[in-house]
Amino acid sequence: MSRLAEIKRFVLDEFAPDVVADDLADDFDLLDNGIVDSLGLLRLIAWVGERYDIAVDEVELTPDDFRSVEAIAHFVDSHLPLLAQEGLR
Amino acid sequence: MIDWNDEQRALRRTMVDLGEKLGAGHVERDQAGEFDRSAWDLVRDTGLLGLPFDPAFGGLGADLLTTMYVLEGLGESCRDGGFNFSVSTHMVSTGVALQRFGSAALKAKYLPMVCDGSAIGAHAITEPDAGSDMMAMRTTAKADGDVFVLNGSKAFVSNGPIAGLYVVYTLTGKPGSPGAITALLVERDTPGLHVGKPVAKMGLRTSPLCELFFDDCRVPRANAVGGVGSGFLVLDHVMKWEILVSFVINTGEMRHRFQSCVDYARTREQFGQPIGSYQSVSNKIVDMLVGLETSRKWLYDTAAKLVRRENVTTDIAITKLVVSEANVASAMAAVQIHGGYGYLAEYGIEKELRDAVAGPIYSGTSEVQRQRIAAMVGL
Repeated sequence: MSRLAEIKRFVLDEFAPDVVADDLADDFDLLDNGIVDSLGLLRLIAWVGERYDIAVDEVELTPDDFRSVEAIAHFVDSHLPLLAQEGLR
Repeated sequence: MIDWNDEQRALRRTMVDLGEKLGAGHVERDQAGEFDRSAWDLVRDTGLLGLPFDPAFGGLGADLLTTMYVLEGLGESCRDGGFNFSVSTHMVSTGVALQRFGSAALKAKYLPMVCDGSAIGAHAITEPDAGSDMMAMRTTAKADGDVFVLNGSKAFVSNGPIAGLYVVYTLTGKPGSPGAITALLVERDTPGLHVGKPVAKMGLRTSPLCELFFDDCRVPRANAVGGVGSGFLVLDHVMKWEILVSFVINTGEMRHRFQSCVDYARTREQFGQPIGSYQSVSNKIVDMLVGLETSRKWLYDTAAKLVRRENVTTDIAITKLVVSEANVASAMAAVQIHGGYGYLAEYGIEKELRDAVAGPIYSGTSEVQRQRIAAMVGL
């Protein structure tokens, strides 16, 4: 499963179990459309940190990084090599 | 537990030595509802207000655990619980937010004031109709060129009446969205900001609290702490620190209270015996100790986990629940153990119970903490 598909699977399972994967566009705004609320955002950040071994409390992040499945995948992609390079992982 | 080194012990000793002076006259100030400005100046002189902050901006560069250890000493030695609360509120509301999320320019301009205490810090989160449900906030910040224009009001602003700097959480996007909150640093003398009068309250009376009103209050866009839309994450970070730093002070207070109860129960006699010889009294004191040590364990374990960069969202909620409720139970037991003397204002024991009642309310109520834990386990 690709990273994007894995992230989408988690979002659907945790926040929108009645929606099928094909119906959730990669760029669908999860925050403004009420799929992920404030507590959900914390869960999502925690999951990303644990699943991809990213020290989310240390890196610069904004809610925009978690606004859509596509944005989350981009956030993960952009932090994995950086953290590995800096020896933070 | 943690094995503190000589430097950490020395810092704590500085705070403990000062604590008795800081607390002098606390019963009278509580009755008058007065913040002790002279005590504030004493703390400023020690430099301890800058304890966890970058030395480049006047801080002492202590880590989270050291900061907690020193502030626990404040709670143990200073009987003015409201003053202690104002100290922790000052440090976390503005300083912690700036240190983690502030731009280089914001840090350079404002962190020195936080570190030396020349400007007292406060944060404005709650609104009359949006308490624990901060996503329901109505105070808006509308972009107008390089400024934000604030309109609305905030309630329950601790340190509000005495603060020089406020971190104000505002709505800049779609209401209800966690990406719609922006934290803005606002100076007290900004036109359009009106600071309300101190509001009377049950406890922590020496830590003044008020409402803030914003009427076309223009704040530079550059004063956004953490960028536009990042306010919820700023607040989440600040709340972690607030819970660890503010409630570790409570464990210092619980330690002092526990020892006072032991001393009293060994010397106060009824029916020819020290009251501590009766299990109905000694059990209460044992429960105070169990609550204290359980609280310390949660606080320091959670802080250590945070320092290790582990996720503490659930731990922090459990910690807040455990400590705030143990503090209320401890304060209630102290009143009961001291009997009539515990009930009289002049001994300052009932005051600690009134102070403790705030704990399960501020920084997210016990109910919200339980809701947060439930959400984190997928309920």
